[in-house]
Amino acid sequence: MEEAGLTNIITEYVIHNKEQLYRLAFSYVKNQDDALEVMHESITKAFSKKNTLKTPEYLKTWFYRIIVNTAMDMLRKKKRVVVSDHETLSLYEAGIPDQYTDMDLQKALNNLPIQYRSIVVLRYFEDLEIKEIAEILNVNMNTVKTRLYKSLKMLRIQIDDERKGE
Amino acid sequence: MNNQLQKLKKEYMNAPIPEELDFTVQKAIKEGVWFSRRKKWGFHKIKVTAASVAAAFLIMIAGANSSMAFAAALSKIPVVGDIINVLTFREYRIDEKTYDSHIKVPEIKGLENKDLENSLNKKYLDEGKQLYEDFIADMGNLKENGGGHLGVHSGYTVVTDNDRILSISRYTVNTVASSSTTMKYDTIDKVNEVLVTLPSLFKDDSYVNIISENIKEQMVDENESDPNKVYWVKGIEQSSLIDLFEEISQDQNFYINSENKLVISFDKYEVAPGYMGIVEFVIPTEILSELLVGDAYIK
Repeated sequence: MEEAGLTNIITEYVIHNKEQLYRLAFSYVKNQDDALEVMHESITKAFSKKNTLKTPEYLKTWFYRIIVNTAMDMLRKKKRVVVSDHETLSLYEAGIPDQYTDMDLQKALNNLPIQYRSIVVLRYFEDLEIKEIAEILNVNMNTVKTRLYKSLKMLRIQIDDERKGE
Repeated sequence: MNNQLQKLKKEYMNAPIPEELDFTVQKAIKEGVWFSRRKKWGFHKIKVTAASVAAAFLIMIAGANSSMAFAAALSKIPVVGDIINVLTFREYRIDEKTYDSHIKVPEIKGLENKDLENSLNKKYLDEGKQLYEDFIADMGNLKENGGGHLGVHSGYTVVTDNDRILSISRYTVNTVASSSTTMKYDTIDKVNEVLVTLPSLFKDDSYVNIISENIKEQMVDENESDPNKVYWVKGIEQSSLIDLFEEISQDQNFYINSENKLVISFDKYEVAPGYMGIVEFVIPTEILSELLVGDAYIK
């Protein structure tokens, strides 16, 4: 792909999807200033790393991945969220979910470990396929499925389409 | 999808979109395109041949209103008769999956005042080395603690190069999560071969107050004509408790632009939210004329 072509494609994509991308960033960092910062950072990063985009058809997952990584790095740096290590995660996977009422659902979602919350966000709010989520988060498809299943369990949501994305 | 998820999704979709988003996106695109172009040029070593000198003149004509990237590319081609110039002395580079570092150390050549030349070049080299060593240490720490993303990019641009003045800016972009960008400037009087400092331009230190007041006015004016441009200054409504800009420091970052105007520069986060990036203010010469020692540099 020619460099100038890629630059135009990225520019177009960002301009047309800025609100959606902002929402994704906001869902991680949870405040306006940081979300804007993540946007700024991700966009400049996208241009400087544009040669890592193999073909334009992967543009969306490629860009989402940049946003997710940038947001996660910011959370780590600000230490507002402890990004759970594998041990803590496996505790969750053993699963003793807290009890939540419907009213607390939003809060419950916010309380999920970030690795779980992002899968819920990407799968149900951004309507992405399991395969795409696996690419964005750089984990394998089975991990995505397991975490999605556990997330719903922790949120105490009964669902019948959790396997639809396969 | 069931009801509960619908509800959550609705809430997700209702996250308010701030007015500043447009501005942030536009600015990031501009910066991104600019930086990636400069990076590309950096990779191609320009061979000094007759052809490239000829090409340089072509670019100069084509790029009369040229960007800083043009200026950066041009500075690498020695032009006949241009004795004092800036070259890349050394480059440090690390390119691993999530660790990425590129530090370019400039070197000034051609000054007869070797003390000045050596002290500047030593400063550039020391700072470059320090950046590189810090990066190596940070990378080691991160790797021990499970990894992460880390980047540092540093380089230089010749901002002004005319008969009298050579202004060089050196930038460092640190990327951990959000990036922080710092700029440093050196301005050299090519005739007298001295380093021009901000205090040396003025008769006394009343410039601090006069320049600061002018900058505050410019900040408020800019915000009035475009509400997306926010500065931390009295007269603009602030969303959070933050230290407001009071005055420049005596040795505030500055350079002299090609129109012989004084430009005061602030690093990211110094006087404005991060999305504003580095901000600069051109100070009108009229308000300085009484204070200036002479009119050799600033007109």
